[in-house]
Amino acid sequence: MNDLLIKLAKIDRRYIFLFVAIAVIIPLLFPLNFPTRATPHTKAVFDIIDQIPPDNNPILISFDYGPSTMPECHPMAYAILRHAFSRKVRAIGVTLASDAAGLGEEAMRNVAREYGREYGRDYAFLGFKPGGSAVILSIGEDIKKTFPQDFYGKPTAEIPMLTEVKNYNQISLVIPLTGSATATAWIIYAGTRYHARVADGVTAVMAAELYPYLQTKQLSGLLAGLKGASEYEHLVKEAGYSEGARRASRGMDALSTMHLVIIAFIILGNIGFFLSRRSAKKGERT
Amino acid sequence: MIPMDTLWTWIAALLTLAIFSFLYKDNPFYKFAEHLFVGISAGYWVMLDYYNSVVPNLIVPVFKDHNFWFIIPGLLGILFFTRFIPKLGFLILLPISFYIGGYAGLYIGPGLQARLLKQLQGSMLSPADFADPGMLINKVIVLIGILGSMLYFYFSKEHKGVLKVASNIGIWFIMVGFGAAFGYTVMARASLLIGRIQFLLMDWLHLIR
Repeated sequence: MNDLLIKLAKIDRRYIFLFVAIAVIIPLLFPLNFPTRATPHTKAVFDIIDQIPPDNNPILISFDYGPSTMPECHPMAYAILRHAFSRKVRAIGVTLASDAAGLGEEAMRNVAREYGREYGRDYAFLGFKPGGSAVILSIGEDIKKTFPQDFYGKPTAEIPMLTEVKNYNQISLVIPLTGSATATAWIIYAGTRYHARVADGVTAVMAAELYPYLQTKQLSGLLAGLKGASEYEHLVKEAGYSEGARRASRGMDALSTMHLVIIAFIILGNIGFFLSRRSAKKGERT
Repeated sequence: MIPMDTLWTWIAALLTLAIFSFLYKDNPFYKFAEHLFVGISAGYWVMLDYYNSVVPNLIVPVFKDHNFWFIIPGLLGILFFTRFIPKLGFLILLPISFYIGGYAGLYIGPGLQARLLKQLQGSMLSPADFADPGMLINKVIVLIGILGSMLYFYFSKEHKGVLKVASNIGIWFIMVGFGAAFGYTVMARASLLIGRIQFLLMDWLHLIR
C-alpha cells in the first residue's frame, strides 16, 4: 500500500491532466446539478440592483476584461444586464480595456434584444477610452466630456438617457468587471474620491485581495470568479427575472468535480511525499 | 458554401486543440498555434491601440478639429521611441517624468485615503462593534491578524519572546492569506479551462446546449 502511494506521488503529470479533463467533460455532458447558494457579497450586489427603481439613475458597467478572462467575467455581464433590463433599470457601458469593447457591446446588445430594451433610452455603450484611472476621475467630473461620442460615433449629448447624467452623483452603482488592477482603481478613484457606490465583479485570482475593501465597506459587493457569476445567475433565475442561458452555472458542476480531483491529488501527493521521506530516513539509518 | 461563423468556430476549435496538445508533449501543432497567436496578437494590439488611442486623441483633434495643443502630448509620446536611438535615448526621461509625476499626483491623495486610512479605520474597534458579538469576534481576529503580520515584517529587533509569539501568529495569518489566494488562483485557471471545454462541446460539437 505504501509503495503504491509513493508511486502515485510520482505519477506522470499527463495522467493528472487526463483525470482533470474527465472531471470537466463528464459534468458538462451530464449535469450533476449541485446546489448553488449565493454568498452575502454576491447577494449584496443583487439587492442593490433589485432596489433601484425602474427608469431611475442608471448603473455603470465597466467591461474591463478581454478574451483571456472572458469565461469568468462575461457570464457576470450577462447576468447583471439580465437582472437590470428585466427590471427596467437603465445601464451605461464603458470600457478601460481596448480589447473589451467588442465583448461589452455584444453583451449589452444581446441582452437588450432579449428584453426589448431600446438603445439610447434604456442603455448606452460609450466604448473604450484610454487613460485608466484618469478616465475614472474624469467621469467624476463629466461623463459626456469624458466620452464625447458613444461606441457607434453618436454624440453622447444627443443620447436621451444621458441628458440627466453628469457624473457619479446620477449613477446608482458602478460595477467594474475585470481581471486586472482596474478593480482597485475604481474603488480608489470613483469610490473614495467621488463617493460612488462600487461593487466589483472580478476573476477569482483577484478576489482575495479585494476582501479588505469589503470589510471596510469601500466595496458594496463582490462577484468572485465563475462561482460569483453562477451565484448571480442563480439569484436572477430564482427571482424569476430570467430563464436565459446560464453558462456559469453549467460550468460550476465541472468546477466542483475538478476541485475534488485536484484535492484528491494534493492529498495523495502529500501522503506519498511523507511516506517516501520516511522510507528514505529508514534507508539512511540502515 | 460554408457559413463564416462555422468556419471561424472550426478554426478556433482546431487552434484550441493544438494548444491543448502541449499537455501531452511539445509538437509542431502547438508551435504553429503559439507562433500564430504571438504574431496575430502583436498586429491586433498595434491596430487596436492606433485606432482607439492615437486616432481619437491625436489625429482627429489635430487634423480635424485643428486643436493644436494636442501636438505637445503627441510629441511627448513620440519621445518614447528615442530609446531606439542611443544618442537621443536620454530624451525618454522627459515623457516618463511627466507620466510618473502625473500619476503620482493623481494617486497619492485617493490612494492614501483608500488603501491606508480606510483600512486602518476598518481594523479599529469601535463602540458599535461591542453590540454585535459576531462582528466583535471578526474585528478582534482582523486586529490580531494585522498586528501579527506587521510584527512578522519588523526586522529591527530579533524575534524573541513576545515578538516571536506575535510574529508566529502573524505568519499563520499570512499563510492563510496565501492559501486563500492560491485556492482562488486554481479556481480561476480551472474556470478558463472550463470556458474552453464549454466552447468545444457547445459551440463546436453542439453536444450540450
